[in-house]
Amino acid sequence: MKTSIRFKTKFRTFMIIGIMSSVVATMAFTLNKESEEARVPPAPIVTKDSTASVKAFKQVYTVLMSARCMNCHPSGDIPLQGEDSHLHTMQPRRGVDGKGVYAMKCSNCHQPANTPGLHTPPGNPNWHLPPADMKMVFQGRTPRQLAKQLVDPNQNGHKDMKKLIEHADDGLVKAGWNPGEGRKMPPMSHAAFKKAWITWLTTGAYAPAK
Amino acid sequence: MISLNVNQKNYRVDADPNMPLLWVIRDIIGLTGTKYGCGVAQCGACTVHLNDEAVRSCVTKVSRAEGQKIVTIEGLSKENDHPAQIAWNEENVPQCGYCHSGQIMSAAVLLRENPNPTDEDIDAAMAGNICRCGTYLRIRKAIHLAAELQRKGSASK
Amino acid sequence: MGDISRRHFVKSAGVAGVALWLGLTAKGAAGKRSTLAAAKNFTPFILIESNGQITLYNIKPEMGQGTYQSIPALIAEEFEVSLDQVIIKNTGGEKEFGNGQRAGGSTSVRGSYNEMRKVGAAAKAVFITAASTKWQVAENTCYAEYGKVIHRPTGKSAGYSELIEEASKIDLPKEPKLKDAKDFKIIGKQAHRPDIPIKTNGSAVFGIDVQLPDMVYASIERCPVIGGTLKSFEATEALKMPGVIKVDKVERIVGIYSFIGVAVIANSYWAATQARKKLKITWDTKGYETYNSADYDAYLWKHANEEGMVDKNIGSIDTVKTSPQNTIDADYETPVIAHHTLEPMVCVAKVTGDEVEIWSSNQVPNLITGAGDNDIPALTGFKPENVKYHNMFIGGGFGRRLYYDYIVEAVNVAKLIDRPVKTLWSREDTTKKGPWRMMTFSKMSGTLGDDGKLIAFRHKVIGPNFHESLFKTFDKTRLDPSMVEGIGTQDYQIPNLRTAYVKTDSHLPGAAFRSVVSSTICFPHESFVDEMAHKAGKDPMEFRLNMVAQTSDTWKLLQKLRELSNWDKPLAKNKGRGVAQWKFFGCQLGYVVEVAHDPVTGMIKIDKVTALIDLGVVVNPDNVKNQIEGAVIMSISAATKPGITFKNGVVEQSNFYDNPVPRINETPQIDVHILADGGRMKGVGEPGVPPFAPALANAIFAATGKRFRKMPFDLQVN
Repeated sequence: MKTSIRFKTKFRTFMIIGIMSSVVATMAFTLNKESEEARVPPAPIVTKDSTASVKAFKQVYTVLMSARCMNCHPSGDIPLQGEDSHLHTMQPRRGVDGKGVYAMKCSNCHQPANTPGLHTPPGNPNWHLPPADMKMVFQGRTPRQLAKQLVDPNQNGHKDMKKLIEHADDGLVKAGWNPGEGRKMPPMSHAAFKKAWITWLTTGAYAPAK
Repeated sequence: MISLNVNQKNYRVDADPNMPLLWVIRDIIGLTGTKYGCGVAQCGACTVHLNDEAVRSCVTKVSRAEGQKIVTIEGLSKENDHPAQIAWNEENVPQCGYCHSGQIMSAAVLLRENPNPTDEDIDAAMAGNICRCGTYLRIRKAIHLAAELQRKGSASK
Repeated sequence: MGDISRRHFVKSAGVAGVALWLGLTAKGAAGKRSTLAAAKNFTPFILIESNGQITLYNIKPEMGQGTYQSIPALIAEEFEVSLDQVIIKNTGGEKEFGNGQRAGGSTSVRGSYNEMRKVGAAAKAVFITAASTKWQVAENTCYAEYGKVIHRPTGKSAGYSELIEEASKIDLPKEPKLKDAKDFKIIGKQAHRPDIPIKTNGSAVFGIDVQLPDMVYASIERCPVIGGTLKSFEATEALKMPGVIKVDKVERIVGIYSFIGVAVIANSYWAATQARKKLKITWDTKGYETYNSADYDAYLWKHANEEGMVDKNIGSIDTVKTSPQNTIDADYETPVIAHHTLEPMVCVAKVTGDEVEIWSSNQVPNLITGAGDNDIPALTGFKPENVKYHNMFIGGGFGRRLYYDYIVEAVNVAKLIDRPVKTLWSREDTTKKGPWRMMTFSKMSGTLGDDGKLIAFRHKVIGPNFHESLFKTFDKTRLDPSMVEGIGTQDYQIPNLRTAYVKTDSHLPGAAFRSVVSSTICFPHESFVDEMAHKAGKDPMEFRLNMVAQTSDTWKLLQKLRELSNWDKPLAKNKGRGVAQWKFFGCQLGYVVEVAHDPVTGMIKIDKVTALIDLGVVVNPDNVKNQIEGAVIMSISAATKPGITFKNGVVEQSNFYDNPVPRINETPQIDVHILADGGRMKGVGEPGVPPFAPALANAIFAATGKRFRKMPFDLQVN
C-alpha cells in the first residue's frame, strides 16, 4: 500500500514535467552492432526497423537538447536559462519535488501562462524540473545515453509505451513550443517532433551507437 | 471588480485583470511597502506572500490572486515582531532599505520551511532578492538569528 | 502634506504651543529663535516644543549611508538627549537649512562633526543656565541628561520643554564647551539606526512611495539612441488605451544635454506603461546611430599616445634609463557602468500656477530649490521661492542621485496637467538612459632601479570627462583634477613620477559613481604597483611598505592590515592573497583579498576580504562596517560584472538579466576593521570601492598567475 502510494506520487510528478521518455516497464535491451533494440510489449504495434528508429531518434534528440527542453533537464540541481543554456541567474534549486525550495519555488515567478514582454518568466501551470529521485538529465547526454535513459523504466517514471506516446502531448512538453516572447522554438514543429517520437518508439526504440 | 484579501482585509478593486499584483497593491490599495525594482522577477523587491509562497508580484497578474490570501510586508506581523524583522533590527541589516521588504518576505518563507537553515540554505532561498547596497552578509547573520529566535519562541510556547 | 504626513519625514509640521529653535547663524555662531518666521540667516537644527517634543533636523539626505542616525547623533551627544526621545526630520532644500543639504564626497559626518556638536553643546548650555536661573542655584551644580536639566544636590529636574520660556531669554555661548571623547554616550558606540524599524515593516516612505490625493502617473518613452531627438509622435492608439489621460512631449535636462521624450499620463502606472508601447514616434538619430563601444575603445587607445595634460611631474622621468629587464608597460581598461539604485528614478510633482511642489529622493536637495543657473528652478522656469521640495528616503544613491534630470523631467510632466503626477522610470529606462559612470583607460609604465625599488612610474588616464557633460562652463584647456584623483598623491615615494590625463570627446551623459574617478583609476594604479613588485621579485606588501615613509598614513594602514589579514601566513596551493590601498578625498582604506582557484572548473572564489579603514574618529562603528561590507559587494559588481555597451548608439543592456549585480550567493567573508586613533576625521561612504578591484586582481594573480588588466574580470580562469 505504502509503495503504491509512493509510486503514484512519483508517477504523477513525472508526468507533468518530463519532456520525454520511453518504453515500457518490462523492456530489456540487446546489443547489436549499430544500435540497441528495445523489446517492446505487444501493443501498440511495433515494426522493428533499427535504421528508421535511430534516424527518428536523432531528430528527437535535436529537440530534447534544444534550450527549450534541456534547460529544465540540467545535469545539476539548478535549471538552465537562455539559448546558451547558462545557469539560471538566481540559481533556484530543484528541491525534492522539482518545484523549487523556500522562497525560490518555480511558481513564485513562473506564472500559469507566459508573462508578456521580453526576458520575462515563461509560464505553465505545472512549471517545474524533474523531481530529485527521477532527475531525467538531458544536459551532457549523448544520443545513445539519452535513448537508453528514456527507455529505462527506473529512470522514466515507469511509463509504458502508451503513456510515453501520450507524453508527447503533455502540457509542459508542449510549452516548449510556446516559449514566450523572444525565445527560439525547438528545431522542429511539435507535430514533426511527435511524429519522430512515435516513430522511434514504434520501430523498436533503438539507441544510436554513440 | 476583483476581490482580494490582503493582510486579512478584503478589498474590491477596479483593475485590469492583467495588471500586475504589485501595482494593485501599491497604487490602488495603497500599501507601498512592497517595492518595484525590475518588473521581470529578477530582483525580488516586490515579493509578497500569495497563499504563503513568496511570489514576485511584479509578474503576477492580479487575476491569479483573486480570492487568494495575500500578505505584504505590512501584514507580516502586527508589531514589526516577526523573528526576521526582530533580527533585521538587531543586526542593523538595511542600508537604503529599499529591498528589505522583499528580503524579509523571502526570509519568512525560508524560516517557516527550514527552522535551522545553513548558509547554503540561505543562499538557495535568498539569491532571488537583490540588495544593491550589498547587505548580504548581514542578511545571512539576521536569518541565523531569526531562526534562533524562532526556535526559542516555539520552545517557550 | 496630504496623506503622507503620518510618516516623520519633513519639516513644516504645525508647532505645539511655545517653541524654541536652536541652530547656527550664517556666521557659524550658535543662535536661537522663538519663531522661525523671524529667522534670517539662521539655520535651525533643534526644535523644542512645549508639549515635550524635541525635533532634530538632519540636513544630509539618507540614502543608506546612515546620516539619519549619524548627523542627529552629533547634536544629541552634546545636547544630552537620546535618539529614542526625539523626532528626526530630513530636510528638503528649505532655504533656512542652507547649502549643506547635500550628500556626496563622503563628507556628511566629517563635514558636520564640529558644527553639529557645537549646536548641541550651545543648546545644552542655554538650558542649564535657564534651569539654574529659575531655581536660583549655581550653574555648576546643574547638569543635563536625557533631555532634562538636573540639580545635582537636590535631584530636582526639569525637562527642556519646561524651560523654553527661560531659555528664550538667555544668550547662547559663542564657544560652547564640547565633551571629551571619553564621555561620549552615542558617538563611537554601537547604535541602532532609527530608520531601520521603518525599513523592516514597509512604513519608510521612499520617493516612489509618495501618494497624493488625485495623483496620476507618467511613463516616458525616450530616444533609444543616446543623443537623438524627437521628430514627431503619433498618439492616437495610445490615447485609446484605458486610463490614458494625456500624451505630450517633455524635456529632460541632464548636464549640458537636453533630451526630448514623449510622456504618457494615465490613471495608473500600469496603464501608462501599456499605452507607452502604442506610441508611434519618429526620432532623429543622425550622427548618433553609428556609435559603437568597440569603435570608441579603439578611439581611446588611438589617443593614448598623446602627452595629455600633465598633473604631477616629479623628477626627470624622461631621462630614467630603461631596459626590458627593469621596465613594464601595461594598458588597463574599465567599462561604463550603471549605478542600478534599486529604487528607480522617480519624482512626484504638482504645479499650481507659478508654483511647484516636488517629492523625490535625491542627494542634493540644496539644488532642487537653489537659485543657481543649473538648479531646478532655473531649469524648469520657476522662481526659487516658488519651489517647495520634500526629500524622501532614497532607495540607493551611489552618485546617480547627485543629478536631478529626472526631477526636471517630472516637473515638465506636471506642467501638462492640473493634478499631482508621479513620473516613474522602469528598470530598463534607468539602464538605458544614463547618466552612467564613464570608462577610463590607463597607460602605465614603471621602471625598477638596481635595488629593486620603483624609480619611475607613469600613469596616464584616457577617457571622457563626466564634468564636461555636466557643465556648460567646463574649461577644456585646464586639467580637471578629478580625472587624476589620487594617482599622484599616494604616499609612495617614487623619485620620478608623471601623471597625466588625455581628455576624449563623448556625447554620453556622464555621472559620478561612488568614489567617482577613483572607482576606475585605482584599479590600474594599484594593480600595476603589484606588477612592479612581482617584477622586482618582492612581496607586494613589503614592496609597498618599502616605498612609504614610516611616519605616513599608508605605513600605519598597511602594517596593521598585514597583521589583521595574516598576510605572512602561507596559503594552501591554488590560493592567493592580494593587497591594495587607496588614499583619496581625504579618506583611506586598504584591502587584503584571499581567493581560491579551482583548477578543475577554473572558477575563482573570493574566500575572504579583510578591510581596514582609517577614520581618525568614528561615530557609528557598526554602520561603518555595514558601509564597507556593502562597498565590497558593489566593487565585486564593478570588477566582475559586464558593463554598459553601445551598439548603433543604443545601450545593449536592459535589466538585471543582462546587466547583473551580485547576489547573496556571491558574498565572501568580509572582516572590517576600523582605525580610530583620534587622528584627522575621514569619510566612510566611498573609500571602500577603489582598492577592492586591484586587491582582487592581485589576489587572482597570486593564485593563478593570470593578470587582469581589463574589467570585468572573468572569474573562470583556465
